[in-house]
Amino acid sequence: MRRQVPLILCFAFGIVMALTEFSPHPFSQWLNEEIIDWALVIGPFALVLAVATLVQSHWTRIRRRSEYWQYSFLVFIGMASMVLIGIPGGQRHEAFVWLFRYVQVPMDATMFSLLAFFIASAAYRAFRARTLEATLLLAAALIVMIGNAPVGDLIWNTIMPFQDNLPSTARQWILDNPNLSARRGIILGISLGVISQSIRIILGIERSYLGGVEGD
Amino acid sequence: MIEKLMNIDRRIIFILVALAVIIPSLLEVNFPITVSQPTRSTYDYIEALPPGSTIMVGFNYGPSSLAELHPMAKAVIYHCFQKKIRVIGMTLLAEAATLGDNMLKDVAAEAGAVYGQDYAYLGFRPGATQVLLGMGTAIDSVFEADYAGTSLAEIPLMADITNYEQVDLVLDLASGSSTEWWITYTNTRYNQQIAAGVTGVIVSQMYPYLQTKQLVGLMPGLLGAAEYEKLIGMPAKGTEGMSIQSFAHLLVVGLVILGNIAFFIQRRQGE
Amino acid sequence: MKGQRFSCPVLVVQGLVISLLVLGCGLNAFAQDATTTEDTRLFDTAKIWIFLAVILYSATVVYCIYHARSGKELFIRRIPGLEAVDEAIGRATEMGRSIMYILGLGGVSNVATIASMNILSQVAQKTADYETPLRVPCNDPIVMNVVQEMVKTAYLNEGRPDAYNEENIFFLTESQFAYAAGVDGMMVREQPAAVFLQGTFFAESLILAETGNSIGAIQIAGTDKEHQLPFFIAACDYTLIGEELFAASAYLSREPMLLGSLKGQDYGKVMIFGAIVIGVILELFGITWMTTFFQRVR
Repeated sequence: MRRQVPLILCFAFGIVMALTEFSPHPFSQWLNEEIIDWALVIGPFALVLAVATLVQSHWTRIRRRSEYWQYSFLVFIGMASMVLIGIPGGQRHEAFVWLFRYVQVPMDATMFSLLAFFIASAAYRAFRARTLEATLLLAAALIVMIGNAPVGDLIWNTIMPFQDNLPSTARQWILDNPNLSARRGIILGISLGVISQSIRIILGIERSYLGGVEGD
Repeated sequence: MIEKLMNIDRRIIFILVALAVIIPSLLEVNFPITVSQPTRSTYDYIEALPPGSTIMVGFNYGPSSLAELHPMAKAVIYHCFQKKIRVIGMTLLAEAATLGDNMLKDVAAEAGAVYGQDYAYLGFRPGATQVLLGMGTAIDSVFEADYAGTSLAEIPLMADITNYEQVDLVLDLASGSSTEWWITYTNTRYNQQIAAGVTGVIVSQMYPYLQTKQLVGLMPGLLGAAEYEKLIGMPAKGTEGMSIQSFAHLLVVGLVILGNIAFFIQRRQGE
Repeated sequence: MKGQRFSCPVLVVQGLVISLLVLGCGLNAFAQDATTTEDTRLFDTAKIWIFLAVILYSATVVYCIYHARSGKELFIRRIPGLEAVDEAIGRATEMGRSIMYILGLGGVSNVATIASMNILSQVAQKTADYETPLRVPCNDPIVMNVVQEMVKTAYLNEGRPDAYNEENIFFLTESQFAYAAGVDGMMVREQPAAVFLQGTFFAESLILAETGNSIGAIQIAGTDKEHQLPFFIAACDYTLIGEELFAASAYLSREPMLLGSLKGQDYGKVMIFGAIVIGVILELFGITWMTTFFQRVR
C-alpha cells in the first residue's frame, strides 16, 4: 500500500494534467489551475522544513563544536536580522531595503562576478587546438568573443577597412546558424529524454525518486 | 618555461582579469557600438507602438545579474516613457521584488512619469506557472493589489487592462528560465508577443525562439543594453561597460592564443 | 523488477479509472453550470497534431518498454561519463576522501532532478559498499528529504545501514549564489576526491566546476540546461550531454524495461530526423507544404 498509493496518484495526476493541456473545456482549465494551486501549497511547508533543517544542522554544529562552528552564528545573525526587520516592517521598510541594497546585492554580485575570473582560467586551460574539431570550436569562440565587444569592430575597421563591422556580423552569423542548429539538436534530444523519463515515472517504472520506498 | 606557461597559476590569470576590469573603468574610453538585429527588432517593435499602448516588464533577475540587466531595463523603460507607452512591472522572483520597484521609481523620476497613470508595479506573487496562466484570465485575480498594497481597481492605468489582450508586449528581463516560461504559457496559449533581455550567459539559448518568432526581439547582456542606449541616443551604464567588456574579452582572447602557442611549441618539442 | 508487488498494467488500470472518474464527474458538473460564452469543447482541434505526435511517441516508448521485458539484450552505446562513475568512486575510496554529489537548483518536480536522483541512488549503493563518505548539499528542502530517504534505502539494500549518516545530506540554502558559495567553501575545506554535478544548473555551474577542478577532484557533470554544457565541458573530466542524463539510470542499472525506453527514444529521434531530411529535400525542390505545415502547428 505504501508503494501503491503514490504510484497510482502519480499516474492519475500525470495523465490528467497531460489531458487538460488539450482541452479548452472550463472544467479542464479549472482542474489544471487547481492542481497547480495545490502544488503551490507545498511552498510554505517547504519553507518551514527549510528553516527547521537549517536551524537544526547549525545548532548541532555549534553544540558539537564541529570544524568552523563559529560561522554558524553568522547564519543565525543573518537569518534573524532579515526576519526581524522583514516580517514587521515588510519589504518596503527602509532597513530591509538598506540590507537588500548594501548587503545582499553586493554579496550576490560578487559571487556572480567570479564567473569572469573562472571563465578566463577555464578558457586558458581548455581551449587548445588539439584536434580539427577543437580548432573549429576555438576559432568560433574567438570570433564570438571579439564580435561581442565593440573593440573588435573598431580594430577590424581600422586595419581592414574593406568590410565594415565584420567581427560583429560574423558573430551574429555563428549564433544564428551553427550555434542554432547544434542547440536545436541538443534540445530535441533533451526533450525526447524528458518525455521518455516522464513516461517511465508515470508508468511507475522509474521509482528511485520515491525516496524511502524500496528501490527496484 | 613552456611547461610553466602551460600550467600557469590561475591566480595570475585572476590578477590579469582584475586589471582588465579595473583599468578601463578608471579611464574614460568609448568604443563605437554596432547594433545587432535582435536588439534592433526589440527597439523597432516598441518604436512602432502608438502612445497609450501597454508593455508588461518582468524583472526576473536577482541582485547578482543587476549590473548586466539594470542598464537594459533602464534604457527600455525610459524609451517607453518617452513614447508615452504605459509600463506595468512585475516579477516572478521573490528576491527581485524590491529591485523592480526601485528601478521603476528611478526611471520614472528621470522621465517625469506618474505612478498610476504612466506606470504601475505589481510586485511578486509565488508560483510562476499559476501567475502567468492566471494573468491570461484576469490580472487582478493574481495581483489583487500593487506592490504598495493599493487595490488594482484604484489604479487608473489598470482600469482598462484586464488580461494579456490589453498588453501589447511582454518584455522579460531574465537571468534564468523565465523567458521560456513566458513563451510556454503566454505566447503559446494566448499569442502574447514577447521580447527578452537576458544575461550573456544564457543568450545563445534564446536564439531558437527568435528564429521561430516566439520572441519578437532579444537583447544580449550588457552589449544589448549598450545597443539599446545607442538606439535611443542616451549612452549610460551599458555603453560605459563596453570598454570594460572589450578589454576583458581581449585579455581572454590573448590568453587563449598564448596558451595555444605554448601548446604547439610543447607538442613540437615532444615530436 | 525485484520486490515488485503489483504490476504496471494493474497500476495503469487503477490510475486510468481514477483519472476518468475525476474527469467524468467534473465534466458532468461543469456542463450544468457552463455559460454560453465559455468554450465548452472537450478537445481543442487546433492542437490535434501535437496530440497525435505525443500519442505516437508515447506509444512507441511504451511498446519498447514492454517489448524489452522479453529479456532480449539491447545494445546501448558506451557513455564515457557513466563508465567513469566507478572510477570516481574507486578513486575517492583509495584516497580515503569523500564524494560530493550536487543535484543542482531544480525542485523535486523537475525531471532533471529526478534523473539526478536516479544516478545518486546508484552512486549511494556503491559508496555504501565501499564505506566512502557521500556528502549531498541540497538546494531544496523537499529534495533533501527525498534524497535522505533514498540514500538510506540504498544503504539498507546493501546491508550497510550503520554506514549511513543523515547529517551528510543536508539543506544549505535556496539562494543560487549563496548555495554556490557554500558548496565552494565545502569543496575547498573538505577536498572531496570526486564531485558529481548532475541536475539543473544555471550561472553557478562554472563557479562550482572550476572550484572542483582547482582542488583536483575528478568531476562528472550532466545537465538538461544546454547553455551550461560548455562550462562543464571546459572544467569537468566527463560531461553527460543532453539526453545522456536521462539515460543514466537505465545505463547504470541495465534494467531491461528502462533500456527499452531508450530504444523508444531513439525511434523518436529517427522520426524527427526523417521529417527534417524530407523537409529539406522538399524545400530544395521548391515544395513548401511541409514547412508551412510545421510552422502552423502550435
